[in-house]
Amino acid sequence: MNILIMLWKNLLRGYQTLLFPAHPRVTPRFRGLVQFDPALCTGCAVCRFRCTSRAIEFKAGKGEFTWSYNPGQCTFCGRCVEGCAEHALKEGHTEHALSQQEAVPPIYTMQGELKKSYTVARRPPAPKPAAPPTPAPTAGEAVPSTAIGGAQ
Amino acid sequence: MKLLNRLMCTARRRSPWLFHMNSGSCNGCDIEIVAALSPRYDAEQLGVRLEGSPRHADILCVTGPVTRKAVGAVKTVYDQVLGPKAVIAIGSCPATTNVFIDSRTLDGPLDKHLPVDVFVPGCPPRPDAIIAGVAKAAEILAERGNNPPTTTVAIANAEEAVKP
Amino acid sequence: MTVFSPLVTALARLLIFPGLLFAVPAAWFFLWVERKSVALMQGRVGPPFMQPFWDFVKLLGKSTPPRSGVAGLLMRAWPLIAVSAAAGAVGLLPVLPSSGGFEGDLILLLALLELPSICIIAAGFSSRSIFGEIGSAREAALSVSYNIVFLLAIVSIAASQHTFRLDALASAPFTALHWIGILAILVCLPAKLHINPFSLPNAEQEIYAGPMTEYAGPELAMWELSHGLEWVAGTGLIATLVAPHVTAAWLAACIFVAISFAVVLLLSALAAATARLAIDSSVRFYWQCTLIFAVLAISSVLFVRFRS
Repeated sequence: MNILIMLWKNLLRGYQTLLFPAHPRVTPRFRGLVQFDPALCTGCAVCRFRCTSRAIEFKAGKGEFTWSYNPGQCTFCGRCVEGCAEHALKEGHTEHALSQQEAVPPIYTMQGELKKSYTVARRPPAPKPAAPPTPAPTAGEAVPSTAIGGAQ
Repeated sequence: MKLLNRLMCTARRRSPWLFHMNSGSCNGCDIEIVAALSPRYDAEQLGVRLEGSPRHADILCVTGPVTRKAVGAVKTVYDQVLGPKAVIAIGSCPATTNVFIDSRTLDGPLDKHLPVDVFVPGCPPRPDAIIAGVAKAAEILAERGNNPPTTTVAIANAEEAVKP
Repeated sequence: MTVFSPLVTALARLLIFPGLLFAVPAAWFFLWVERKSVALMQGRVGPPFMQPFWDFVKLLGKSTPPRSGVAGLLMRAWPLIAVSAAAGAVGLLPVLPSSGGFEGDLILLLALLELPSICIIAAGFSSRSIFGEIGSAREAALSVSYNIVFLLAIVSIAASQHTFRLDALASAPFTALHWIGILAILVCLPAKLHINPFSLPNAEQEIYAGPMTEYAGPELAMWELSHGLEWVAGTGLIATLVAPHVTAAWLAACIFVAISFAVVLLLSALAAATARLAIDSSVRFYWQCTLIFAVLAISSVLFVRFRS
C-alpha cells in the first residue's frame, strides 16, 4: 500500500527532472578545469611535479617557459592548485597562477581539442624583503639558492 | 526521397539506444551512467534506452582505460553493434588513460582501437555532462547516415542544433 | 455494415478498424502511455510523445547481421509471424456492435493471442545464442503457467454463456462469474505483456536481452510492433468483455478506446509499483495463487450446467 501512496504523491508532485540543456547548480569548491594565469606564474613547476596524471607539461627555455595543460588527461584532483598556492605562500606571495574553475568540463569531439599551451617570458625575480638577523650558524648549512625552474 | 532521408535523420537523432561497455574502469563512470538514468537527470527524455544487447544499440558508451585483456572484447562488441553507430568515450580514462598512463596492463587510449566520436571529460563526469555527450552523439549519428567512419580521428560536428 | 458482404466486412475489420490502420498507431500510443505513466509515477519526465514511432523508424534504418541457413530463415520469419498474429487478434475483436463474426472465433482469438509468445520462445532457440536459450526457457515456463489460468478463465466465461462467439460474449449480460473471469484475465495480462512483476523474459542486465539478443534492425522493429499490438489486443479483449452494449458504432469505438486506455493505466501503475519476480516466484504465483480461482470458476460453470 505504501508504494501506491508513493506513486500517487509522485504523480501529484510532478516530475523532478532537469529538462535537457539545464545543468544542476555546481557547488562551491567544485573541481573543474584548471585555469592558468600567465601574469602570476613564476615558473616553479611544482604543479608539474604534483600532477598525478601528467596533464601539465612544463618546458623551460632561455628566458621563457612553456606551460601546457591537457584537460583530457586531467583527473581533476586539485593537487596542482594546492601546490601552487603553498609555494606562492612560501615565497611570500598571496596570489598564485593556478585556480580551478567551478564548472563542469565541456564535452569535445576531437582528441586533444581542449589542450592549452602558454609561453610565458620569465620575469626578473621580485626584490627580496630585508633579510632577518641570521641565527647562530649551524655547520655547513648553505643558503638555498633562489634559482628555480631549471630544466626538469 | 529527400523527405524520407530527413525522416530517418530525425528518427536517428531522437532515438539513441545505448550499450554500455566497461573496459577496465574503476566503476565511477559506470555509476554516473546509471545516475544519468535516474529521475533527477532522466536520459529517457531524449529517448535514450539502455539496451541489453549490443545488437540493439546505436551508441556504444565505453568507460575505462582499455586493459590488454579487454581489447579483444571491445573490438568484438564494436563489431557487433550494427551501423549506423557512434562511440562515446566516457570519463578521461578512455580518452587518454588518465592516471594510469604508464601502466603495463593497458593498451592505449580507446582511440587506438575504435573511432571515437564524443569525449566526455571528467573523473567521473557528471550525469548531465554524460547526457550532453549522448545528445551530441545522436546528432552526429543523424548526419552520418550509413557511412561508417574510416579514420580514427573523430568527425567534428558542424551543426549546433540542440533542441530535438 | 450489414449490407456489405462478409468478406468486405472482414477486410475492413482486419485492415481499418480495429485492424492495422487503427491498431498500429494505437500500439505506439499505448506503448508511449505505458512508458510515460511509469516515468511520471517514478518522478521522471519520460519520453516525448512520438517516441515509439521514432524508435520504429530508426530500427528500420539499421543494417542486419548476415544470417545463413535454415536457422537464419527461421529467425527472419518469427517476427513477421508474431506481427501478423497480433494484428489478426486485434482485427478479430468485436468492437463494433454489428461487425459479424463466426461460430468459434473465440478459439481463433485465443490461438492468435498465443502465437506471439510462441514466436518469442522459438526465436530465442533459433538464434543459437546462450542468452536466447535461457530467455526462451524462462518465457516458456512463464507461458505455461499463466496460460492455464487465462484459458480456464475465458473458457469459463464462454461456457456460462453457452457460446464461443465473440460478439455474443461481448453483448452478454454480466454475472459474478463474468467478473471473476475478467479479474483472472487482468492478472494474466502482465505476464503476457512482459511487464513488471512478470517481466522476466525481458530482463536486461541479467541475460542481456533474452530471446531478442541476436535480433537487430527491421526484425527488432517488427518485434517491438508485435509487442505493441499485443498490448492493443490484450487490453482490447478486456475492453470488449467489460464494455456495455451500445448500438451506435462511434460510441462503441469510443468506449473501447477509453476502457483500453484505463486498462493500460492500471497495468502501468502495477508495473511502476512492483519489482521483477524471479522465475520460481512467478511460476509459483500462477500455480498456487490464481489457479485455484480459475479452477473454481470453471467448476462452478460445469456445476451450473449439469444442474440445468
